[in-house]
Amino acid sequence: MKRGLASAAVAVMALIATGALAQTKETLTIDLPGEAATLDPHLQWNTESYTIYRNIFDNLLTRNAAGEIVPQIATKWAYDNDTTLTFTIRDDVTFQDGTKLTAEDVAFSVNRIIDPALKSPQLSQFDQIQSAEVVDPVTVRLKTKSAYPALLAQLVKLSIVPKAYVEKVGDAEFNLKPVGSGPYKLVEWKKGVETDLAAYDAYWRGKPPFPRVVFRAVPDVSTRIADLQTGKADLAREVPPDQAFSLKDGADTQLLSAPTERVGYLYLNAQAGPTKDVRVRQAIAYAIDRQGLVDALLEGYGKPVNIVGAEPIFGYTAEVEGYAYDPDKAIELIKQAGAEGATVEFLTSPSYSRALVEAIQQMLNEVGLNVEIASSDQATFLKRRQGEAANAGGMALGLWSCACQDADGIIFPLFRSGGIWAKYENTNYNALVDEARTILDGDKRLGLYKQAYEILREDVPGIGLYQVYALYGASKKLQWQPTANEAMFVMDMSWQP
Amino acid sequence: MLSYAVQRFLQAIVAIFGVLTIVFVVMHLSGDPTLLLVPQDASAEMIAELRRQLGFDRPISVQYLDYLAGLFRLDFGLSVVQRVPALDIVLSRLPYTIQLAAGALLIAVGVGIPAGIVMATRRGTAVERLLTAIVVTGQSVPTFLSGILLIFVFGVTLRWLPTSGSGEWSAMIMPSIALGALSMSTFARMTRISIVDELSKDYVRAGRARGLSLAQVVARHVLRNASIPVITIAALEIGNLLAGAVIVETVFAWPGIGQLAIQSIQSRDFLVVQVIVLLISFVYVMTSVLADFVYVLVDPRIRLAR
Repeated sequence: MKRGLASAAVAVMALIATGALAQTKETLTIDLPGEAATLDPHLQWNTESYTIYRNIFDNLLTRNAAGEIVPQIATKWAYDNDTTLTFTIRDDVTFQDGTKLTAEDVAFSVNRIIDPALKSPQLSQFDQIQSAEVVDPVTVRLKTKSAYPALLAQLVKLSIVPKAYVEKVGDAEFNLKPVGSGPYKLVEWKKGVETDLAAYDAYWRGKPPFPRVVFRAVPDVSTRIADLQTGKADLAREVPPDQAFSLKDGADTQLLSAPTERVGYLYLNAQAGPTKDVRVRQAIAYAIDRQGLVDALLEGYGKPVNIVGAEPIFGYTAEVEGYAYDPDKAIELIKQAGAEGATVEFLTSPSYSRALVEAIQQMLNEVGLNVEIASSDQATFLKRRQGEAANAGGMALGLWSCACQDADGIIFPLFRSGGIWAKYENTNYNALVDEARTILDGDKRLGLYKQAYEILREDVPGIGLYQVYALYGASKKLQWQPTANEAMFVMDMSWQP
Repeated sequence: MLSYAVQRFLQAIVAIFGVLTIVFVVMHLSGDPTLLLVPQDASAEMIAELRRQLGFDRPISVQYLDYLAGLFRLDFGLSVVQRVPALDIVLSRLPYTIQLAAGALLIAVGVGIPAGIVMATRRGTAVERLLTAIVVTGQSVPTFLSGILLIFVFGVTLRWLPTSGSGEWSAMIMPSIALGALSMSTFARMTRISIVDELSKDYVRAGRARGLSLAQVVARHVLRNASIPVITIAALEIGNLLAGAVIVETVFAWPGIGQLAIQSIQSRDFLVVQVIVLLISFVYVMTSVLADFVYVLVDPRIRLAR
């Protein structure tokens, strides 16, 4: 009798155990630092909005784990000539309202975002496109104003919206109740609280891994970490390196990281103040111990770079030498420039690590400059940084990503004179980056960028500091490899009970 | 009484109008949201175009008059970030803040007033010293720190309460304590001071001489007289709670207007900030007007004195 009971108990326990194994996780909870501003993918480019709507919408193209541009809604594409590109699109995609996705929707999406009436803040990323037209139900033709090599890289960010639905409900309603063809559909957007998504089971790539996904807005990083530690959240974005250790060694938590295309760099004002002298700028480049910054302040989650750009971008070159850490040389150059004790204003805002700013200040003070930190809120910081050279401070940190993985999206806006960021002018440099953005030949473009980076090395209007690593806190059971483009695509995640 | 009410009401409107104007000017002078809305690789032309479309290129006086004209039509404008009416955004978050402020007030009054009574009637005892220590601590520990400490102790270590969020009632406990602690100290101090003040008066001595115990005198006479300054504090504390919610809501991911205010200021979402300012100044002013009327109810002599 006793044995019978024991074996029955074993059998029951085995059943429970198998049941538990077969169970999938019902809801994946993700903590973000803020909430989505809009869910209309053509209206906003802030990280929170993108993180969420990336799961609701498909893009025309996407990038694979290796960073290559690969098909998503488009299956193939070919240039008819330098300014005309024809796309063939998938025939088996439906929107979450059941309607079929056609070339009409693709053309509508392109024409919608480039229409000034929409007031899309993303217009600058797509304004080289002149028009999109439907050729047949699976073919779309795009025309650009001139040859535009970064077009595909930009189209990776273009979400496809349903023409009939948007026209029926209008832009305002579409923002509140978006419908896409992605793996998750919107259930409820509780403003300021959370955004609830449910799996779209008819998704063309197969059934999504979690029946529900909840994105919560949790602004305080300590609270996000506490949520992970208590299991209230399964994944959290933006964990600073100095607080990451508690997750790394946690019983139920893990730290996920990925090198990104984002680069931490130091802007130097080449048109005003003591940094107008190229010797002072070179001295600053010699005075900064990049490896020291990465080891001490980023806990190793970063990698020193030789240029303003990191490996995942097209146009990256290892052949241009970076500045070695050489404080003696820096002291010498500052002496030569007669800039000993010169005051350099270091603009910053709460968006940038104060520790990093102070460490750089310290390094530069040690070689004979007098660096003064001027901190303000982000809008005021941007107003000064983007304004006239005379008022733009001597230096500032930047954390730059164009989300396009192309040097055109980095050094063109940063250093091409006439832009809002550049406090620098070199006609040879301008000519090189101008030419590189209008030719389609990849090898030729690489050659031009290498030359451009060589000029930047000599003139030092900016210094590449380190490649930024994205850091995420997660439950130990979450299986996911974050990518260089910092997207959180739930379709690529899974759960290991 | 009526003319007094009208006068107070007009004063209130002028005060709200003044606050609104100052906030409008300060926010507009420190930059507009266009730079925060566009991607960082946007061109100068693109930024200028968006600025024009959003109307931020117009002189500040024109924008201000436009805004006022909207207010008279009860049109509070669209959020430039979310592209929905600013009023709707604020109203959707208001119930959360009211809920939190109510919880905090409950803690502040429920703990602060009894503590103040005990401190006043047990002067010089160990109990008074202990309560004073608690009150001083409550007053001097910054809210963000007490919030994080609470999360660490009761959320992460003991796992008794949820670390953040607003879904379940238990999620309200820690933010209410963190927010209520400051006001609790204020109530305790004010109650103590005003009871001590009353205790020195003749009617108390007379009562004691008639053979009443201290507790009886306090319960029958002192509390009523001592309550007037406490009511003023209560009224002002409601405004303070709304303002204090800014930090507590951020720490606990509580979706009220405090957190919204921080987000909106950071993203320069002017019209949302304006609605929040309008609301908080309205509550401040109205509660202080209300307090004046409550005085009269509590102590009719005040009315005669006017």
